Amino acid sequence: MTADHPGSDLLSRYERGADIAADELWAVESHLETCAPCRARLTPDPLADAVWTGLAPLLDRTPQMPRARRRRLTWVSPMAGPWLAMILLVTFVALLLDRISSATPDGISLVLLIAPVLPVLGVAASWGRALDPAYELTAATPRAGLPLVLRRTASVLVVVMPGLVVAGWVTGASLAAWLLPCLTFTAGTLALGGLIGVTRAAITLIALWTVAIVAPTIALARTSVVFHPAAMPFWAALLALGLLVIALRRTAFTRLEASR
Amino acid sequence: MTAPTTFAWEIEARDLRLRVGRRRMAVDGVTLTMTRGVHGLLGPNGAGKTTLIRALATVLRPTSGTLSLLGGMDTRLLRRRIGYLPQEFGYYRRFTVREFVAYMAWLKEMPADEIPAAVQRAVERVGLADRADDRLKTLSGGMVRRVGIAQAIVNDPEILLLDEPTAGLDPAQRLRFRSLLAELGTDTCVVVSTHLVEDVAAACTDVVLLADGKLVFQGTPAGLAAAGTPQDAGDSPIERGYSALLATPRERGTW
Amino acid sequence: MRRVARGDRAAFEELYRRTSPWLTTRLRRRCSDEQIVAEVLQETYLAVWRAADAFAGAGAGGSAVGWLWTIAARRLIDAFRRRAHHAQPPAAALEPDRRAAEDEALDGVVGDEVGDALRRLAPELRQVLQAMVLDGLSVRETSVLLGVPEGTVKTRARRARIAMREALS
Repeated sequence: MTADHPGSDLLSRYERGADIAADELWAVESHLETCAPCRARLTPDPLADAVWTGLAPLLDRTPQMPRARRRRLTWVSPMAGPWLAMILLVTFVALLLDRISSATPDGISLVLLIAPVLPVLGVAASWGRALDPAYELTAATPRAGLPLVLRRTASVLVVVMPGLVVAGWVTGASLAAWLLPCLTFTAGTLALGGLIGVTRAAITLIALWTVAIVAPTIALARTSVVFHPAAMPFWAALLALGLLVIALRRTAFTRLEASR
Repeated sequence: MTAPTTFAWEIEARDLRLRVGRRRMAVDGVTLTMTRGVHGLLGPNGAGKTTLIRALATVLRPTSGTLSLLGGMDTRLLRRRIGYLPQEFGYYRRFTVREFVAYMAWLKEMPADEIPAAVQRAVERVGLADRADDRLKTLSGGMVRRVGIAQAIVNDPEILLLDEPTAGLDPAQRLRFRSLLAELGTDTCVVVSTHLVEDVAAACTDVVLLADGKLVFQGTPAGLAAAGTPQDAGDSPIERGYSALLATPRERGTW
Repeated sequence: MRRVARGDRAAFEELYRRTSPWLTTRLRRRCSDEQIVAEVLQETYLAVWRAADAFAGAGAGGSAVGWLWTIAARRLIDAFRRRAHHAQPPAAALEPDRRAAEDEALDGVVGDEVGDALRRLAPELRQVLQAMVLDGLSVRETSVLLGVPEGTVKTRARRARIAMREALS
């Protein structure tokens, strides 16, 4: 309140616990909080010395916390780590298989095939009873809800995308051909998740994709029409629909329903 | 910083109904009020204790009836002022105690510069200061339970919801936990669900007895004890009162 | 603080030597019980020693002294809570600065408008203002510290703010 240092008379009355006018007391206390030289003017206190005598031996017995290792990331779900590693591994293996099989004519790209469902796994790990043990704790906090879900989803995409970009570049698949399905499935997981729970949604979508697209593609050895440029508007429309459903169902993520 | 609203009760439920699954009404028309103090939530398994606590934690939406917490306010602001320990306390095994409690504090939107002090204080209050930097997977069951209590109180909540907090605690730890409860109860509305009648007798200022989703009794532990007669089953007055009000096992002969 | 976090005992002793007289005095002005002051002091510095690294990380922006006070204030309130449930009346805190308004003998030290307004404030309103603004306590903590119900704290805080605003306008 005042930049002036308190006089020694005032300071000693403060120390003795004597009556001091309220405004002066206020000024002294707020001044002392910011002024080290004035704190040093206070006389050493017998009580503080006595406490130190008791404290000093305690310090030897009291371990200090270890020096900060990395700070915990708040963007990634605490459980997502192994899943993100797995996503990277799967991308790498698919890429490898693509390189090996690229000799075949009209080679089907494995990377392209798995691209849509890759992030689904990470998203499920970020928000679901099955994979996140602290789901109920998390769901009850103020930060629970769509922003936290999107934040965790973004961290999954950040991991998935570079791998796919590299894979796309190596295999020559067009960007839209894998990016759109990938985003659509991510949005779809969350949209469906708001209705039936994220874990169930992830399982449903992965099963659907495997049965409807992956199996026929491998059986017929022909790249499915869904990756054809003509199919892209449909993917975009689905993505928009997914985002709309997420927006409408956003409160579901603050309750237990979405973590089934 | 100051809450402009004033309210008579921290928790006020009117004809509250909560459906679990498709048709089971786990809480069926409960009307009750709770203010600061320690409220013991008693009842047989399946009476609706956990469902009621989940509704109080705002993770279950009431099927019908009204539930007003801290006078009613925006859910997000309300949640900053609630502490919750679920019955199934899931945690991250690779986190240290300090990291876990700090992560929960972050989820509760505490200011970043307040978190280290709040975490240290919460960990000390549950008596885990010496294990604060050990990973959760190295702790015993009772210690993990105490971590659960620490994360619930880290934000100094006004409503503290503890679902079976004494499960896994040994007798000495339970005694210390009771005195922590009493300390918290001076300025917090604490709701503790338990099936241990003696916990209620020792630590609670108020008892709520649920059976089949209905409120059977709300009053003091002494009031609960007074409901019993020497003919009722139980080893202590309060247990006999519990049996009398539930009026069950003897007639039916099964449990 | 960084040196303390690295386990430097000398640095910690230095920190103690520099801050403990101030903290002791400030606590004593809020709690007349020497035993509690000593306890709070010990708990506070032990917590600082234990979690030094976390504090060094978070407190980089703010002053070490500021959060030292925050830690101590919380623990003082905890001590009062423990007392409250042992059925003793809440500690007679704030004894010294109660009759301060009559202290007209010394004037002119802080003669500005804020000072005047503060001085004219009724003691019970000022206590609340001091606890909430200067000490950074919440309504609940203030209520424990002063031993008055929360509703009263809220009312007094509101009245104090209105009075201050009127005095300053």
